[in-house]
Amino acid sequence: MASEILSAEGLRCDGRRPQEMRKLKCELGISEGADGSALVEQGYTKVLVSVFGPHECANRNTRNHERAIISCSYNLASFGSAIRKKKMNSDKKSTEVGVMIQNTFEAAVMLEKFPKSQIDIYVQVLQGDGGERCVAINATTLALINAGIPMKDYVCACAATVYQDSVLLDINNLEESSRGPLFMLAVMPRTESIVQLQLDHRLHNDHLDKVVKETIQGCRDIQVLLDRQVKEWTVEAAAAYDIKPRV
Amino acid sequence: MTTRLSNAEIQYIVDGVEQDFRSDGRGAEDYRQIELETRVLPNTNGSARCKLGKTEVLVGVKAEVVDVDVHAPHIGKLVITADCSAVASPKFVGKGSEALENDLTNVLSFLYNSTNTISLKDLCIVKGESCWQLHVDVLFVQCGGNLFDVASIALKAALYSTTLPIVKVSGEGIEMEMEVSDDPYHVWKLDVSNCPICITLYQIGGGFAVDPSEEEVACSEGFVHVGVQPNGDMSSMEKAGAGNIDPTTLLEMVEVGVRVGEEIHKQLNKQLDAEKSLAKL
Repeated sequence: MASEILSAEGLRCDGRRPQEMRKLKCELGISEGADGSALVEQGYTKVLVSVFGPHECANRNTRNHERAIISCSYNLASFGSAIRKKKMNSDKKSTEVGVMIQNTFEAAVMLEKFPKSQIDIYVQVLQGDGGERCVAINATTLALINAGIPMKDYVCACAATVYQDSVLLDINNLEESSRGPLFMLAVMPRTESIVQLQLDHRLHNDHLDKVVKETIQGCRDIQVLLDRQVKEWTVEAAAAYDIKPRV
Repeated sequence: MTTRLSNAEIQYIVDGVEQDFRSDGRGAEDYRQIELETRVLPNTNGSARCKLGKTEVLVGVKAEVVDVDVHAPHIGKLVITADCSAVASPKFVGKGSEALENDLTNVLSFLYNSTNTISLKDLCIVKGESCWQLHVDVLFVQCGGNLFDVASIALKAALYSTTLPIVKVSGEGIEMEMEVSDDPYHVWKLDVSNCPICITLYQIGGGFAVDPSEEEVACSEGFVHVGVQPNGDMSSMEKAGAGNIDPTTLLEMVEVGVRVGEEIHKQLNKQLDAEKSLAKL
């Protein structure tokens, strides 16, 4: 089990180097019924996010007169995990991740522009192979951009673990289930401000600085790819109106 | 998802259907273009994605070895579950989708209820002991009408793409050992030559049509689900929705349903076979 995580030659179980990220594929606007949507694949983890809004608040009691509120729902498909999971409407983990994503984007979205409104974020994990929360955050960023909702910056997330003094970035399911620390970071890359940080299991203080630096770099790398896709999509979408945007 | 139409629009659509010339130029028996892709989820034993109009469905088949049912010790199990994802519509958050999901689950399960649709005997590993249980999960990623048809097509494609590892059984009684093969190429595929698909016919005014758009659904009264097998046999039938259908129209609808179903099966089988000739795994 031990040598599966990192071999003697310095290769991980899927052939990556420690700081190598998984292949990222993303697409905007794939769900026509939603105001904004995006599909992001990192390795075998596939997450689809739909954004509805800003629209009138569904519940008058939760309405905020100064800013919009965000409501987020996170769901893992029954066939998404290695062992089939029966669909549960509100299991603890899904609710927790939903709240985490909501808090993340409350920091990034310019909510003051839409008082008394509501923005709905629906996350559907189609396939989970590690880092589902991170891929969900990346996909939500793209979906919000697709919906035209103004944000202060991209929010990019990356998960890492430490194994034998090496930091392994963008961990997959096997690496997540090893007994090492699970460090997740969501960052606004331009200002390098941390929007969300989660650590599970134990991480030695000596490794903290290294892990934070490398994970932020991972997030910056993700931002470059997401930005490239957004620009491509903008040019394509504008072409339908015969507009050539400057990107 | 609620379409609001004026009386003039409703009249226009109803007249169109009755004269076999719908708003988008289709006849009453014409389907829109169906987009189908199999093996989209590497985590599963079989999967398919199907898109028709504004409806998109993802089906995943996962298999596990379980104990046989005491009342049916010589066959395996097939469990079909439908799930409407919140990404399709805000109405589907939490318990909002329960009614629709139950409806879909029931219709799709009913479709495969008869014994000659899929051979459950093939799924038996050791009679009286173990069998394969196939969990078929139908996930609606976009809901834009005609859900049952799209789901049934994706279901058949997913079952077609399902590969199950070969199990080696040695010994008998207490010393029996089952070895499930690890080799990804040491697999067998299900026989889906009799699997049905659901054709839904909507009654619109004095006529009826298949594959309605959202506007046409808003003008319809009742609808009939017909489960059609490739050889033209009917595996199930159900009338649903509000509205009455007189017996003559019902027989006509079923006849059309079976005819359309056979044609779709032909096209579907052709495309699935064509995909087989593409690169493996």
